[in-house]
Amino acid sequence: MWPTVVFSLFVQWSVGAGAFTQSLDSDFTFALPAGRKECFYQTMEKDASLEIEYQVLDGAGLDVDFYLYSPSGHVLFSDFRKSDGVHTAETEAGDYMFCFDNSFSTLSEKVIFFELILDNMGEGEDSEDWKEYMQGADMLDLKLEDIMDSINGVKARLGKSLQIQTVLRAFEARDRNLQESNYERVNVWSCTNMVVMVLVSCIQVYLLRSLFDDKRKTRT
Amino acid sequence: MTVVASCVGVLLLFAWFTPSKALYFHIGETEKKCFIEEIPDETMVIGKYRTQLWDKQTGSFLPATPGLGMHVEIKDPDTKVILSRQYGSDGRFTFTSHTPGEHQICLHSNSTKMALFAGGKLRVHLDIQVGEHTNNYPEIAAKDKLTELQLRVRQLLDQVEQIQKEQNYQRYREERFRMTSESTNQRVLWWSIAQTVILIITAIWQMRHLKSFFEAKKLV
Repeated sequence: MWPTVVFSLFVQWSVGAGAFTQSLDSDFTFALPAGRKECFYQTMEKDASLEIEYQVLDGAGLDVDFYLYSPSGHVLFSDFRKSDGVHTAETEAGDYMFCFDNSFSTLSEKVIFFELILDNMGEGEDSEDWKEYMQGADMLDLKLEDIMDSINGVKARLGKSLQIQTVLRAFEARDRNLQESNYERVNVWSCTNMVVMVLVSCIQVYLLRSLFDDKRKTRT
Repeated sequence: MTVVASCVGVLLLFAWFTPSKALYFHIGETEKKCFIEEIPDETMVIGKYRTQLWDKQTGSFLPATPGLGMHVEIKDPDTKVILSRQYGSDGRFTFTSHTPGEHQICLHSNSTKMALFAGGKLRVHLDIQVGEHTNNYPEIAAKDKLTELQLRVRQLLDQVEQIQKEQNYQRYREERFRMTSESTNQRVLWWSIAQTVILIITAIWQMRHLKSFFEAKKLV
């Protein structure tokens, strides 16, 4: 009876504690209008680590200012007019603020992608704790532990793959936006060029003719 | 005993539900904050948010405010609105994408009295989960009656499926990117040739016209 109870407690605990549900890494993409500054906040614990990676995906110049403030208001990192960046900080307890500043631009809206990677936040409980609940260490339990370890390893690697995919996706989105704006530019300026050429040649001919017409009139 | 265990399990499940360590930002009264999510098709997205209102009396943010709602609007890549709903001060919205591409998630507050009570500051905690992260594993375990090992393997399978979907989507995007590049290159070539031809024709026309004009005026 006891092993059943303990086992059910373990299952309930591990499943409910989100042992393999919500991850603490988040990424967001947003549009920053010209001349604006947008700030985001993240609550951190002591001795955790915060890694922030950002990229500018769209907008003329593909650059933005970036600031990271500690809970006490000190500037930890600042970038001026960079198109992408990565910063890691060992954190103390409190709210960290990071801001993207597009004030230097008067016309173009920037699309910014950023990713927060949090480590050692203490919310993902150590899967070593469940050993306290399990009683009896026979061969089957040890084999199960090996399988669990390798499953955890695979899960971590797959999570990393997904993260890298997200970053690659951001790079590709930026290149695609750049290319589409090139396409627009080529179309617009080629049309303008042709129209201007034809117009200028007609004006030239007309002006030349008008010069001689006047002279003729004044001569007689 | 089992009742206690189930109660503990259920309580821990609720702990997973609220975005306690999520990113937060401040939003003004009529301000609209939009986030862009680039996702493959048939992908589920769950967004959870929690709002807090600034209390002038205590000088801090109150945990929950009844009567204060957020309006959530979600547009698909063709800028068609797929979700436009009002939620309470804590809300959870879900949608599944049917076309791959950039979906836009916009949030704005529906309250007009905020400036009166709170000095115009509203804090929004937001967490957006995409794809495999949206799966509710406790629910899946209960529905399919899986042991923990089976559940873990199922989670790995879901992760791999998500990565595969992203890769397929990446392939589709790269193809689009290649088409735009090739189209741009072609257009540059054809516009240049067309412009040169027009320039030559215009020059010939100008010369012939002016020559006949001068001959008519008996200047040549």
